[in-house]
Amino acid sequence: MTSRREQSLTYAVLGVFSLIALLPIVGIVFTALQEPGGGASFGSFDGLHFDNFRRAWEDGSFGQYLKSSAIVTGSVVVISTVVSILAGYAFGMMRFRFSTPLFYLFLLGLMVPMEAMIVPLYYDLRDLELTDTYWALILPQAGTSIAFGTFWMRAFFRSVPPSLVEAARIDGASSWFTLWRVLLPLAKPAVLTMVVLLFMWTWNEFLLALVMVSDESLRTAPLGLSFFLGRNSSDLTLLAAGAVIVALPVVVLYVFLQRHFIRGMVSGAVKG
Amino acid sequence: MAAVRFSDVRKSYGDLEVVHGLDLDIADGEFMVLVGPSGSGKTTALRMLAGLESITAGEVRIGDRVVNTMAPRERDIAMVFQDYALYPQMTVFENLAFGLRRRKTPKDEIDKRVRSAAASLDLEKYLERKPGQLSGGQAQRVALGRALVRDPQVFLMDEPLSNLDAKLRTQTRGEIKRLQQEVRTTTVYVTHDQVEAMTMGDRIAVMNEGRLEQVGTPEELYEHPANVFVGGFIGSPAMTFFDADAAAADGGGTVLRAEGIDLTVRGVDGLPGRVTVGIRPECARLYDPSESRMSGPVAGEVTFVEALGRETFVGVQVGASNVVVHHEGRAALLPGDRVEFGVLPGALRFFDAETGTAIRTRVVAS
Amino acid sequence: MATPPAALAETLPVAPTRDGEAGRRTADRPPGEPRRVGYLYLIPAVLIFGAFTLVPLGHAVWLSFFEWDGVTAGKWVGLANYGDVLSDPDQRTAFVHALVLVVFYAMIPVIIGLIIAGTVARTHVRGFTFFRVVLFLPQVVAMVVVAVMWRMIYDPNDGPINEGLRAIGLGGLAKSWLGDFDVALPAVGLIGTWVMYGLAMVLLTAGVQKIPRSLYDAARVDGASAFREFYAVTLPALRGEIAVALTLCTIQALRNFDLVYITTKGGPGDATSVPAYQVYERAFTTGAVGSAAATGIVLALLIFALSTAINMFAERGTRR
Repeated sequence: MTSRREQSLTYAVLGVFSLIALLPIVGIVFTALQEPGGGASFGSFDGLHFDNFRRAWEDGSFGQYLKSSAIVTGSVVVISTVVSILAGYAFGMMRFRFSTPLFYLFLLGLMVPMEAMIVPLYYDLRDLELTDTYWALILPQAGTSIAFGTFWMRAFFRSVPPSLVEAARIDGASSWFTLWRVLLPLAKPAVLTMVVLLFMWTWNEFLLALVMVSDESLRTAPLGLSFFLGRNSSDLTLLAAGAVIVALPVVVLYVFLQRHFIRGMVSGAVKG
Repeated sequence: MAAVRFSDVRKSYGDLEVVHGLDLDIADGEFMVLVGPSGSGKTTALRMLAGLESITAGEVRIGDRVVNTMAPRERDIAMVFQDYALYPQMTVFENLAFGLRRRKTPKDEIDKRVRSAAASLDLEKYLERKPGQLSGGQAQRVALGRALVRDPQVFLMDEPLSNLDAKLRTQTRGEIKRLQQEVRTTTVYVTHDQVEAMTMGDRIAVMNEGRLEQVGTPEELYEHPANVFVGGFIGSPAMTFFDADAAAADGGGTVLRAEGIDLTVRGVDGLPGRVTVGIRPECARLYDPSESRMSGPVAGEVTFVEALGRETFVGVQVGASNVVVHHEGRAALLPGDRVEFGVLPGALRFFDAETGTAIRTRVVAS
Repeated sequence: MATPPAALAETLPVAPTRDGEAGRRTADRPPGEPRRVGYLYLIPAVLIFGAFTLVPLGHAVWLSFFEWDGVTAGKWVGLANYGDVLSDPDQRTAFVHALVLVVFYAMIPVIIGLIIAGTVARTHVRGFTFFRVVLFLPQVVAMVVVAVMWRMIYDPNDGPINEGLRAIGLGGLAKSWLGDFDVALPAVGLIGTWVMYGLAMVLLTAGVQKIPRSLYDAARVDGASAFREFYAVTLPALRGEIAVALTLCTIQALRNFDLVYITTKGGPGDATSVPAYQVYERAFTTGAVGSAAATGIVLALLIFALSTAINMFAERGTRR
């Protein structure tokens, strides 16, 4: 049996590091709730002034930024999820020529960071006159997301007992029907984990937006925050409120689906 | 319902041939068991019949149709998988109805067939449950039911009982047999368990290393194994063997000689010089001089004692061979003890020492 | 999803084959097993992924062989841009900084993760899920938000660090953390530590929970101290997880762009310049597009090598 002292030591260690993780976040939330004006300082608490959020939303155009982020993220997640399910199904359950080399190409894409592609992407999309459109944010992000999603869904489909698919084949189901009616209901947890990760990665993506978009109305939330920082670094409360707004959607999703976040980031973690 | 015929069917993976020219006729309505150790090709043969594996060469027929290039769904078969392969997110009812719905069977017909299958399998109470909420035995019955509702030409069963515990296995064995006798659908049943094969099959096909060793009724296989492999595979405990030199005995019969063995068998003659002798354990007894019909004695050293209560099996090392001897009741023996045993008439089977194939002996009344 | 392309393709009749050779080939394919239809399922993925990931990647390799300002005609320079990655002091500094950041992003988090995992290994922690959720939280907050947050914390005038130092009479130590040549890089690095240690902790505690309890019982029967137990049981069993955690965190350290861009823009001077920032600056500020592409490729190769290593370790982990 473990001694009392050891037990308390464990809780002390966990407590200290949890506190360190939590303090800056609590600090910025408190800052965002402070009385607006010059006297604000990071982390101190002087009541709940939700008005900062309204000001950030309206005057700071965070409402607009969030709308852009929602459009981009929603499109990327929907497109990538559907496309990845189809591709993962083919790679995971069918045997056809060149399936292995093709899959390695996807794996390659999974490992390449946005930083390596951003330069040609900018010039390619500029030539297609797609910079400064949502497409410039959606399509490249969908590309890398599909690489991850295909990898992820393939792993799921390979874990399905083959007899299930064979039973469906004997019962006369087409591969299309088998996918959507027999396998997908089983895939719900795997798909949810994938959706959650794609949502987070897309929502938090910064470099792509920084390079592709100059029109203010297209700025995503992280990009908007960085520009806001450049203009208003003196108004601490407003900046903090903006930052909280930007982080909130992912954090809320995390609180509800933490298992999926953690499971996904730990096991599907080859993606940076 | 239809007959099934394999004609010189082969299966290769790349250069590796795993089924070497299988010829097998299964009669309409017959319960055929394919039995053999793992790697014998029995499951591959079944999967070729199902259309889940390609047929490298040869021909498979169901009824009068050659089905080699037919998709599984066109073959009009139903299969019970080892792991049942129930659709986890569908209810039992939906599982049973799935194949019928795919075949555009009218709704009221589906309903009727599902309910009747559920009734005969005692599943009526569970129709709205999901497979995850069923016990192993119930899930197994759903898997059977899914085949039953389809009323196909052939039932294919791939080790359907191997995931059940021993008691349930025995019970379900009887149930499958009963159902098959009711519906009289041709059934091909794959198992590695010879007890299952013996108790269920109308006929049994014994396979080994991609070859068909023997086809026959359980009695034929037991009484007249075609070769050493079948003799050693069928029966529990299995036949034991020793190699011996055979010579005509003075006054009729045959003398078998091997290291530590000098056995005169009456009523058998015409053997070649060198034979493999198979003994069924129940026909080898501890030697009893008062039993006049018994040949022997053969002396050896006890290697193991398997006491089952009502009977005891004793392993006896004689020269290079280990012979299993049957004893009614308990035997006061320990490993290391010296014993003598004898064999009852008609107990021995003789095989060619080179090829292992059975030698038909002329049995002369003594 | 209204028209099922797969069903369509599967109903196409299989061409009858007469001659032996072709017959053999179709014989390898179980009748009715979907095969070529696999390509149809792949089409959308290949199109999007190919056009917006593979093509740019190829294009990046191509650009890396040119000296190009993004406007006028480019000049073929062969591998010169790659040579610059090694020889150009700016580039070299950036990669050295990246290595320093590896200490903060990977080494320290893994050590913290090990401390937590080691203590958790010996006790049953009630409410562990809660701690895990909290410790992992920094991972899901957008890096831009993290950067904004830490700018406030490091603020030379009214940031909590300097105020705290002044409050306990150590005002002399207060400084402009992100504006000081000597401390800017470690200051950025520590943000990385804050972000990453939760991930390391989750990976390592998950590993600890897979260690059979009997090993600990055996160690205790042998009278091992807590430290000895950690050293003899926990650490060896966690080898795979440590490797995975190190690699993941290292990749994050190498990719680090958002944080540097928001907190320091590579400054003061080039005190916090990193490869990813060099890519951005060269391509979009100083007009050295070819060089930027080469830097990006080198970065990708580094990450690729590390990802391969992680897969090998992860696979070895599952085989155990």
